[in-house]
Amino acid sequence: MNVLKVPARTIAVFVLPCLLLYTCMVFVPILVSVYCGLLDWNGISGAKFVGLANFERIFTADPVFWPSVKRTMMFAVFSMLEIPFCLLLAILLNRYVRKANTLVTMYFLPVILSVVIIGQLWKTIYNPASMGGMLNGILMSVGLESWTRSWLTEPQIAMYALYFVSLWQYFGYHLLIQFTGVQNIPNELYEAAKMDGAEGFKADRYITLPLIVPIFKISMVLAFIGSLQSFDLIWVMTGGGPAHATDTVSTYMYNMSFLSMKYGYGSALASFLVIICLSFTIVINFVFKRIENKVS
Amino acid sequence: MGRTKMKAFAILVASALALTLTACNNGQSASPGNSGSKGGDVASKEVTITFQNINPDPSTPSYKMIQQIVSQYEQNHSNVKIELDSLNTDQQKLKLKTQAAAKEVPDITIVNPAAQMKPFVDAGLLAPLNDVADKDGLKDTFQDGLLDYYSFDDKLYAFPDGNNIEVVFYNKELFTQAGIQKLPTTFDELITAVKALKAKGITPIAIGEKDSWTGSLLFMNILLRTNEGPNFLKDVLDGKKTFKDPAFVEAVDAFQELVQAGAFPDGATSIDYNAGGNIFKTGKAAMYIMGTWETGSIDASSVAGKVGVFQFPTVNGKGDVNEYVIAPGSAFAVSANSEHLQETKDFLHYFITEMPKIQFDLKNAIGSGQKMKGNLKEAGYSELAINLNELFKNVKGGDLAFDNTMNPAIAQAHLSSIQNLFVQKEDSAQVAKEHQSAFEANK
Repeated sequence: MNVLKVPARTIAVFVLPCLLLYTCMVFVPILVSVYCGLLDWNGISGAKFVGLANFERIFTADPVFWPSVKRTMMFAVFSMLEIPFCLLLAILLNRYVRKANTLVTMYFLPVILSVVIIGQLWKTIYNPASMGGMLNGILMSVGLESWTRSWLTEPQIAMYALYFVSLWQYFGYHLLIQFTGVQNIPNELYEAAKMDGAEGFKADRYITLPLIVPIFKISMVLAFIGSLQSFDLIWVMTGGGPAHATDTVSTYMYNMSFLSMKYGYGSALASFLVIICLSFTIVINFVFKRIENKVS
Repeated sequence: MGRTKMKAFAILVASALALTLTACNNGQSASPGNSGSKGGDVASKEVTITFQNINPDPSTPSYKMIQQIVSQYEQNHSNVKIELDSLNTDQQKLKLKTQAAAKEVPDITIVNPAAQMKPFVDAGLLAPLNDVADKDGLKDTFQDGLLDYYSFDDKLYAFPDGNNIEVVFYNKELFTQAGIQKLPTTFDELITAVKALKAKGITPIAIGEKDSWTGSLLFMNILLRTNEGPNFLKDVLDGKKTFKDPAFVEAVDAFQELVQAGAFPDGATSIDYNAGGNIFKTGKAAMYIMGTWETGSIDASSVAGKVGVFQFPTVNGKGDVNEYVIAPGSAFAVSANSEHLQETKDFLHYFITEMPKIQFDLKNAIGSGQKMKGNLKEAGYSELAINLNELFKNVKGGDLAFDNTMNPAIAQAHLSSIQNLFVQKEDSAQVAKEHQSAFEANK
C-alpha cells in the first residue's frame, strides 16, 4: 500500500465523515435494536426489561418463526441458483449476439419498475380465472384446467408463486452484472487461447470462469442479502398471508412490531436477521476465497 | 495533495459542518422564541395546529367536510392555521405509532376505540377532553353511551366521527336472478341463498380478506348470535369464559359452513379491502356484509338504487337480529404535549359542533355519532339510507370488533387464524385452542 504516499491522518480525515455517518445511521440503530430486543415493549409506553425472554420464545415456542426462517432460506437458495443461469446466458449473449446491449437492457427492464407495480402486475396475472387471472386463463385455453390454481392463496404453493416473481424481476439485474463482467475480459486472452487450440466452452472453462469469479461472488452476496430482506414484494402481494403461509423473517418482524405492537419481540427478530446476514456473508466470502484459489 | 491544500480542505469541511449546525440551531430556537412572547396579546398569537386525519380522497364526502370546516375556522380566526396531514387509514396508524414512540403526537390525531387506543392513553400521550365536552353541551349531541368507548377512568379522550352497525347489503337484481324471494332471516336460509347464487355463477358475498379484519368482522356477527347476546370477549377478558366455550366453537363451525358453501370470491385472501368492496359495487357480487359507513360510497357506485339491506340472520335459532356488531367510528384526539393545547381544544370544539350539520348537507349523515336533525327524505337521501336509518332506531346493543376489544397481539393471532379458515378447513376445537393459547400468552 506504499503507492499511496498519504499520511494516516489525511486518510482519517477523508474516511471520518463517511464513518461517522455510517456509525450513526447503521451501527447505532443496530445496537439500539438489539437492546430493544431485550424489552417487553409495545413501542409506545412502559418498556420492561425481560432479558433474553423474547429470544427464548422465538427459538422455542413460536410456531411461525422457524417456518418463516425456512421460507427465507429457500428464497435465498433460489435466488442464488439463478445466478449460474445468468452467467451462462451472459456468456452466450456475449459470444453469439451482436448488439447484445439491447437485449440486456430489455432483461433489465423489470428491475427499474417499482416493486409495488411488479406486485400488482403479478397479482393480476395470478388471479383466479373468475377474476380474469391471465395465467389461469392461458392454462384453461390450452386445455389444462386441472392445472389452474388460486396461486396466491393456496398455502402450499403461494410461496413458490412469490419466489418466481422475485426471480423474474432480478434476473435482468444479475444478467447485467455478469454480462459486464464477461465483456470486461480482454479479447486478447481469447485470441491467445485460440492459438493454443482452446475455443468455445474450453476457453470459458480456463479463461472466463476464473476471471469472472469475483463478479460472480458479488452477484451471489447481493442475491443472498436481498432475499433475506425480501419484504416489499411479499407485503404487496400477500401481506404474509394466508395465515402466515408466506411470512418471511422480515414480514413477520413487521407484523410483530407494528401490527401486534410487540416492538421488543420484533426487535429481537430484527437482531436475529442481522446476525444471519452477517454470518452468511462471511461464509460466502470464505467459500469464494477457496473457489478463487482453486480455479485460478 | 499538498499540506496547504489539505488544510484548506479541512477548513472547508469544518465550516460546512459549523454552518449546518447553526442552521439546525436556528430552526430549533425559532419555536421557543415565539412562545416566549406569550405574555402579549393572546388573540393575535400566530398558531399552527397540525390536524392528522384519515380522509385523503378528495372524492369522498368526509374529505369535503374536513376541508369546509377548516376553511370556515381559518376565516374566522386569522391567527390560526390548520395544517392537514391526510393519510390512508393504515398509513396513519403506522405514522401515529412511530410518532408516539418519539412522543411527538400531532396536535389532533385519529384513534380507534377501546383496546386500540388504550396504549396511547396509558402512555399519557392524549389530553383529557372533558372540558371540551362540557362546553356548550357538546357532550349531549352524541348518542347515549357512545363516548364511553373513548373514556378511561371517567376521562374522555376523543370524539368519534361516527357510530356504525354492521348489516348485510344485497343486490336486489342479483337476488331476483337467482330466484331468491325471501330475504334470509336464519343462517340456513343464508346458506341456501349462497348456494342458489353460486349455482347461477354469481359471487355470493364480496369480501377483501387480504386485510384480515374484514373476515373477523363477519365472524363477530356469527359469534354475537351463537353467544345469544353480546359480551363474549368481555367475559373472556374477565375470566368468566374461555375461547373453548361452545358458543365460540359453534361460531367457527358456522363460519366454515359459509366458506365451504362457496360464499366468498376465489382467492379472497389476496383481495384487499377496497377491491373487495368493489366486487359488490360493480354488481359482481350479491351481498356485502360490512359497516354502514359504506352507505355513501354504495350510493355513489354503479349499483346505486339496486341495493337493499337486511340484518345479519340468527344462527341455529340463536341470537337477536336487533343486536349488531358495532363500530363506534374512529375518533379525534388531542395530543397531551400539544404546544397550543387551548387553541387546539377550541378548534376541536368548533369542529365537532359543526360536523353533524355539514355531514348532513353532504348526504353523509348515516352512521353519524351525533344526533341528527332534519328530515332525510326531504334532504334527498336514498331509499337505502332511509331504510338504514330505520334500522338504527331499533338497535338494542351489540359487540365491538375483535381488535377493538382485545389487545393488538391477541387480535393479530385471531385475524390470521380466521384468515386461515378461508383457505383450509380446520378442526373448530383446534381453532378455539389456538385462540385460547394466544390469549393466555399475550393477556
